[in-house]
Amino acid sequence: MEIVVKGFTKHFGDTAVIENMNLTVKDGEMLALLGPSGCGKSTTLFAICGIHKMDAGQVLFGDRDVTHVPAQQRNVGMVFQSYALYPHMTVFQNIAFPLTVRRESKVDIKRKVMEIADLVYIGELLERRPAQLSGGQQQRVSLARALIRRPGVLMLDEPLANLDARLRLEMRSELRRIQQETGIAAILVTHDQVEAMSICDRIAIMDQGKILQIATPAEMYQRPVNSFVAGFLGDPPISFLDGVVRQGILVLQGDADDTIPLPEHISGQPDGKVLRLGVRPEHYQPHFPTKVKGAVVFVEMQGREILFDVKLSNGDLLRSVQAASSQFKLGDTVEWGVDPAQILVFDDHGTRL
Amino acid sequence: MSVSARLGILFLAPALIFVTLFFFAPVVLTGVFSFTNMSTATGITGGAYQVTSNVLRQLADEGFEKSTLDRLGAKSYVVSAQALVVATTEGVVDKAVLVELESKHLGKTYQSRRDFERFLKKLKNRPRSTRDLKKISPYFRASLMGQRFESEEVLFAMLASLDLGLPDPQMRHVARASYTGWVWGTGNFKRMFSLGDNLRVLRNTGIYVVATLLLFNTGFALVLAIATFYLPGRHSAFFRGLWLLPRITPPVLYVLLWKWLAWDTGFINTILANFDIQSRNWMLDTGANAWLFVVLINGFVGASMGMIIFASAIKAIPQTMLHASEVDGANRWQQIRHIILPQIKWPIMFITVYQTLSLLTSFEYIWLSTDGGPGTSTEVWALAAFHAALDNYWGNLQYGYGAALALVLVVIGVVMSLIYLRLFNFDALITRPRIEQ
Ligand SMILES: Nc1ncnc2c1ncn2[C@@H]1O[C@H](COP(=O)(O)OP(=O)(O)O)[C@@H](O)[C@H]1O
Ligand SMILES: [Mg+2]
Repeated sequence: MEIVVKGFTKHFGDTAVIENMNLTVKDGEMLALLGPSGCGKSTTLFAICGIHKMDAGQVLFGDRDVTHVPAQQRNVGMVFQSYALYPHMTVFQNIAFPLTVRRESKVDIKRKVMEIADLVYIGELLERRPAQLSGGQQQRVSLARALIRRPGVLMLDEPLANLDARLRLEMRSELRRIQQETGIAAILVTHDQVEAMSICDRIAIMDQGKILQIATPAEMYQRPVNSFVAGFLGDPPISFLDGVVRQGILVLQGDADDTIPLPEHISGQPDGKVLRLGVRPEHYQPHFPTKVKGAVVFVEMQGREILFDVKLSNGDLLRSVQAASSQFKLGDTVEWGVDPAQILVFDDHGTRL
Repeated sequence: MSVSARLGILFLAPALIFVTLFFFAPVVLTGVFSFTNMSTATGITGGAYQVTSNVLRQLADEGFEKSTLDRLGAKSYVVSAQALVVATTEGVVDKAVLVELESKHLGKTYQSRRDFERFLKKLKNRPRSTRDLKKISPYFRASLMGQRFESEEVLFAMLASLDLGLPDPQMRHVARASYTGWVWGTGNFKRMFSLGDNLRVLRNTGIYVVATLLLFNTGFALVLAIATFYLPGRHSAFFRGLWLLPRITPPVLYVLLWKWLAWDTGFINTILANFDIQSRNWMLDTGANAWLFVVLINGFVGASMGMIIFASAIKAIPQTMLHASEVDGANRWQQIRHIILPQIKWPIMFITVYQTLSLLTSFEYIWLSTDGGPGTSTEVWALAAFHAALDNYWGNLQYGYGAALALVLVVIGVVMSLIYLRLFNFDALITRPRIEQ
């Protein structure tokens, strides 16, 4: 089922949290709603599932306009950030709850609970209470409860945020497996770009109540619409260099000696134009042609790779990720190159050219 | 003992003294009084010995022989050495008659004053005037009736002088029966269990507690708390404030308003007069009406506490849990039944137990409104204890019996408190912090 949000607007008191948002989730896809804390991701989710009323706009589930349909009748499954399990019920009763309130027969309920419990691997926990479960197990129960009545759409509000690093990795792929096995359209809310990129078909990136870009992870990584998106994706993050155009060359701010030729696809910029370059760590390497000189001021060994921070003479930083065999040391003066084809160029409003 | 431990006791001392004075002492005294027959008649200090017609009747019931009782009750006249001594020292002028009585007639007994005086007139040294004669005879009166003896010994001496030939146990029996002060005994409890009225009072107490509790203190409180939870903020605050009013109104004023509502010339009758309905006191008209008012008056006051506790307990339920239930498809009623009620199970139990205890012992609103009436149809146990001990219609306040009635409430209270501490098992209510694995 395709989910369409049109012109969604939400105010809390006088503050506009969401302004005129449009969003489409295609049937069977997993869409990430990615953005920093407080940008309105949960608010969007709550509006789609009907917990919050929208101040303006429309929600369509397929052909059905559900804008004024109460949450009880929207048939959505939701996994809350805190899991929101019912502590006074057993795991079985928790998972069965959506069916119990619809008065399905005991036999049906039992069969469906067993089925879904097998899908999320919690078959042996059914008699326990939520307080007797670990975080990852609670997560699975919550997921089972959301899936049991075959919802039209599955909503996941920061489902992995409360798990430790190893469990997060495991649950991440579990979520994807289960979503793909059930074929249910899903919206995954997260502030973690790695999570979004690794398991979602598409990403909608949000900032301050607006969707900036909707694209596949690769597309968004390679062609971000603006400097915010470029800065939000990628770990270690992209480095930015500010400067002014002089005869087709960018003169970096603060120091007339440091210059970088503009890449070919950004030609014809007038003199005096203020621009910002974005260079990802994997595109600042010893062998690339466009040399930039600086001193290594920070080295971080990450096992398979090493992360270097290089300080230019004007004080700006460039990051570089290299194989662990790299021999450079703290304090070395280096002259590494940038891959001109991969440089991202933004204007003074942050929009990519 | 370490310094800090001693310091701790020092700091606790005021609390300990208060608890002892105002909690333990009343309970202990109630226990002590309940094993006495203290009343206005006996006083709370000592007493004296007095054989009255009541005492004789009691002794007859307890199997004393008729002849013995007749002699106890008779006004006989005996020429006893004792009487002679008294008469001599207290100045009977005519000593000759006394001498004659002592020498010749010691020990003679006459059944009435007339017989005795006739006998006196026949004496050799008989008094010259009838007036003197009449002055002598009272000294020889040997009746117990109407006399007050300060101690048992004096009473025994008197009994001995009557020459009744009573064995020791019977003498003591008479002493016990004629004692006017209070004595120890389990009579209060025998009386309590044998009195049919108390069964009715017990049933009344049950009706009062269960009806007020179910309808108002828990039931209506729950309805209010849930209803105001679903109302928008401002309205819910208003409704909760409204239901607090009865609680903060002075009880006498509050009950007076109800009385005014129900009086012959009160609000209800003024309205009903328009429909030609005979005016009457709606509160005391029938037993059923009295119950209605008693439950309403207590319930309106009692509902507010439960309401506040339940409302804050509901507010403490994590919002996401309620959201989750909505997304899961639960309608409002299912949300209440499956989420809210189970989540506030403990506050409900707590209020139920707590209010049971306080209803059992509270009678002030009943006292002020129906005072147990009409008849004894709304007389509850605590009120009965109060009536017996402190507000008796006949004026004889029965402290001992009242204390025995009150002791029943104390025992119920202690037992229920113990059950309730077990039930709530406070350790289990505290969830231990868990470290996520
Ligand atoms: N019930 C509310 N009342 C007032 N402000 C709210 C409410 N819920 C969320 N907000 C505000 O709306 C903004 C977006 O919140 P939210 O959607 O929860 O962000 P997130 O992207 O972290 O999920 C935040 O600034 C938050 O403070
Ligand atoms: Mg959120």
